[in-house]
Amino acid sequence: MSIIAGSAHFEDAAAVAERAARRPVLLQPAAIGALLAAALVLALGWWFASQARVERAEDAWNRAVIMQLMALGEAAAALEGRDGATSEAALQQLLLELDSGDGYFRVVRLSGSRLLASTASGDHDDSAAPRRLSRDEKWLFDLGQALRAAVETNVSEGVFRRRQVHIELLGDERARITLPFFVAGRVAGIVQAERPRDLGVERPSMWLPVAGALAAWLAIGGLLALGRRRGRMPDPAGRHWGLLAAGAVVLAGVTLGHATLEVGALASWQAELNQGLAARFETLREDVGFLAGVASVSVDPGPGNRWDVDLYQRELGLIGGDGRIQAEAVAGDIAARAAGLYKAMLGNFALGIILLAFFTLGAATRSGRALRSNRHAYMYVLPAMFGMLVLVFFPFIYGIALSFTDQTVMNVSEPITEVFVGLANYAQILGDFEVFRSTAAGAVINYQNFYWTLFITVCWTTTNVFVGVSLGMILALMLNTRGLRFTNLYRVLLILPWAIPNYITALIWKGMFHQQFGVINQGIQMLGGEPVAWFDGVFSAFMTGLITNGWLSFPFMMVVILGGLQSISQDMYEAATIDGASKWQQFWQITLPSLKPTIVPAVIISVVWTFNMFNVIYLVSGGEPAGANEILITKAYKIAFEEYRYGYAAAYSVVIFMILLVYGVFQTRVTRATEATTT
Amino acid sequence: MNMRSNKSTVTALVLLAGLFAWSGVAAKELVVWHAYRGAERAAFEKVAEMYNAQAAERGVSVKLLAVPFDAYADKITAAVPRGRGPDVFIFAQDRLGGWVEGGQTIEPIDFFIEDETLEQLLPNMMDAMTYRGTVYGLPLNYKSITLIYNRALVSSPPTTGAELVDVAKKFTSVPTGKFGLAYEYSNYFFHAALMNAFGGSVFDANANPTIARKENVDAVKLMMRWYKEDGILPADPSSALISTLFNTGNAAMVLSGPWFLAEIQPGVDYGLAPLPTLAEAGGAPMRPWLTIEGVYVSAAGKHKEEAYDFATFLVSEEAALVLALEGRQLPTNRHVYEDERVTGDPVLAAFRKQLETAVPMPNFAEMTLMWSPVTTAMNRIVKGSATPEEALQTAQEQVAAGIAALRRGN
Repeated sequence: MSIIAGSAHFEDAAAVAERAARRPVLLQPAAIGALLAAALVLALGWWFASQARVERAEDAWNRAVIMQLMALGEAAAALEGRDGATSEAALQQLLLELDSGDGYFRVVRLSGSRLLASTASGDHDDSAAPRRLSRDEKWLFDLGQALRAAVETNVSEGVFRRRQVHIELLGDERARITLPFFVAGRVAGIVQAERPRDLGVERPSMWLPVAGALAAWLAIGGLLALGRRRGRMPDPAGRHWGLLAAGAVVLAGVTLGHATLEVGALASWQAELNQGLAARFETLREDVGFLAGVASVSVDPGPGNRWDVDLYQRELGLIGGDGRIQAEAVAGDIAARAAGLYKAMLGNFALGIILLAFFTLGAATRSGRALRSNRHAYMYVLPAMFGMLVLVFFPFIYGIALSFTDQTVMNVSEPITEVFVGLANYAQILGDFEVFRSTAAGAVINYQNFYWTLFITVCWTTTNVFVGVSLGMILALMLNTRGLRFTNLYRVLLILPWAIPNYITALIWKGMFHQQFGVINQGIQMLGGEPVAWFDGVFSAFMTGLITNGWLSFPFMMVVILGGLQSISQDMYEAATIDGASKWQQFWQITLPSLKPTIVPAVIISVVWTFNMFNVIYLVSGGEPAGANEILITKAYKIAFEEYRYGYAAAYSVVIFMILLVYGVFQTRVTRATEATTT
Repeated sequence: MNMRSNKSTVTALVLLAGLFAWSGVAAKELVVWHAYRGAERAAFEKVAEMYNAQAAERGVSVKLLAVPFDAYADKITAAVPRGRGPDVFIFAQDRLGGWVEGGQTIEPIDFFIEDETLEQLLPNMMDAMTYRGTVYGLPLNYKSITLIYNRALVSSPPTTGAELVDVAKKFTSVPTGKFGLAYEYSNYFFHAALMNAFGGSVFDANANPTIARKENVDAVKLMMRWYKEDGILPADPSSALISTLFNTGNAAMVLSGPWFLAEIQPGVDYGLAPLPTLAEAGGAPMRPWLTIEGVYVSAAGKHKEEAYDFATFLVSEEAALVLALEGRQLPTNRHVYEDERVTGDPVLAAFRKQLETAVPMPNFAEMTLMWSPVTTAMNRIVKGSATPEEALQTAQEQVAAGIAALRRGN
């Protein structure tokens, strides 16, 4: 049935190819591919460029507010400890000075949870500052405590891990910025500003992406037309690759042009923003100047400009304390941002190439044809595919995405784009070849190394499958003896290890391997031997896992092989006996070859099971001694749930997946080969 | 089959819809998650009923949900930051740091706390609930290990390390499988009692590992002397092995906590005594780690003030007495230990006495990184494949590397 459908399909294919070749050049897959790829690259590029603009505008807006808040914080700190009434009045006056009428400022002291000054609309008359915070304002106090904890974390750990400036977007295009101020080096309170955030971002124009995509389309179409007119038709494969190369060149040109244009626009805009900020800085200095007269307090940003800071309250150094723009630093900043945009464009380009290849190399045509000719089949599997998408592919893709991040227990609440580290996890896992470490006592094996764990995993898998198959084979051959009584009873007994949940079996075996009280060592002692400390040595601990898993895995193999044995015709053995073949020869010449189609799939499945046999390793030896007997999957578990490095563990899991994928490809080939020999 | 499963789905949906409608009717319902079972659960439910009776007039009611312990912490981690989960939950302090660092899980309660609430608590309890200078919970119950002995085998419990070894040696007979002392000495949670006696620690105040410090090495050496030279400890001590030994009369003394009491067979006459002092540590007492269950207000809750009010009720004397007498727990309310029903109870009194020398287990997020390397180190030491100095140094390096990987700056 399927063969008939297949051949009909091939006849169709030839006709379709014929028709396709006569299609206009602009509708050829390569031309459409170029159009779509260029459109994808440019649309993504446009999106990245507008994101970069928004980000830049946000940064500039934040910097302007942060500058004011830093100055306000310094003033509040300087006024702390001064005579009460005057300093309170001075602080309130400063707030009014800074207030532009469309928002508010607040100053809160943590000790005593006091609102020192405020221009918020509710804070007047009875609830005018200074006063104690009310219960409704708990969030203000908590925010202060959180920022204090952030500062203390950064100071005590010596790294800038926690943001010291809190930015909150409120609805209605408004934003609120809060940052701590310091008295004698410790966080004393917070200053806060809320105001409308009108970024006024001008989106990059759309004409370039559209024009670029059209140009790419026409270019490839023209190339095809040229080829057709000259009548030179190289063999299809060569043509495909040639088109891909041509498309790549066109795509690269379009992408590079787009990136250069955008970077240029952004650089000039960035310079403009810095000039605006420098002007605001000047006004700010004048605004706070009055404090010297009122409360004899002078606040000064210092030479490096302590007011113009990033989200970790580190000096940016873009605008000096004298208000002058630091050209070099600004250029460096622009270059760093441009590099980010170029990187994003490079990523887009890679995506575009994949899409282009899909079309030019003929995959699109083939997929389209398959979709059309098997329309009903695809419709039937659609619900299942949707289920797979949600239940399998989404978690899987999320895991892969996670593997490119540095997500740990410390930053789980941050979006994964914030903790992106590229291929660093993979480089760390695969690039660490230090399997042997030299110490004072000579070279020792580094059991934490990936390659050691891989080695153990491979040893574990091969020995286990070998033990399972041999034991299963021996028992199956014994059970298959003709005239054996109570066969069913034996069979039930031998299947029992498989029927008991493997957690229980594993824990029982662990108890049996106990050094003093375990039944195995007591047996050894009864026979006059020395008790073995099973979990102390790498080899003996490996054996505990092997024995336990051997016990767990032989029933499956036995059942499979028994089934295979029973389907071998007795005639062959009779014929062999007549020909004078020994039992041994019969086994090698008849039994084993006839069992091959049953054993090979069983072995293939069993390899995958054993490779990821988490329970036995985790419950019996636990990877002892010192993690030497860990297999890849238990190691990944430990990284995720004992070290809490989720990103790294995800990369580890992806590596395990890749290994099994390679094995899977190999397995399919082997299975095909066995099928071929049997039919 | 298919029909039936369809039917049950429909039923479940209807029930669920009913549940939503019903929860809409109740004015302010606080959902509380806990992991108690048996007597502890019954006592906790009784306390919640007491609260409901008095809070009804304010339109507040409490609904308890017992969550299986295995999945509890992960459920909190997954649900609360995404705006779901309970209003109040109860958990030991060891995960506090991780939840605070992860963010959006536990509501800080500094702002609510009043001096009267703190005044009624036993000393040191708030330390466990404080992370980076901010208070995140109210302490509810505490647990620590103590000396549990078989009265039939030990007439008077030892008060010094020397006595402990003497008593244990008399009883120990390796060929017949009898041991004077049994505890999970290679598990650092239990070993910490020795470590703290020597003045050791696993982290400094800034959460940097101090695993290899001299005091820790000395503590491990004393443990190794008990195991190797004095020979009073069984090999490969697991909790199952220890309870079997104690129940069969093959272990005279055990170092363990309240959870162990439930495993003791009815026929075994046991007594409790504070952990002995150690001459090797300058006569200091063994100081076990204290785990403290905290009541936390969820950051995702909608009724945080009400939730905090319930938390203060839980730590009040009224509620704590029920938890102590009916739940057999050890509340942190100090007035409970003035009640004669509690002082007359040998178990509660003994753990209260042990509290005098116990120290709260650190609640740093980094603590979770410590267990695996330290367990490996302890196993290597016990098995003689490394000296205490080497093994602890390796563990310290591993923990430091793990922490460095977590604390990546910007």
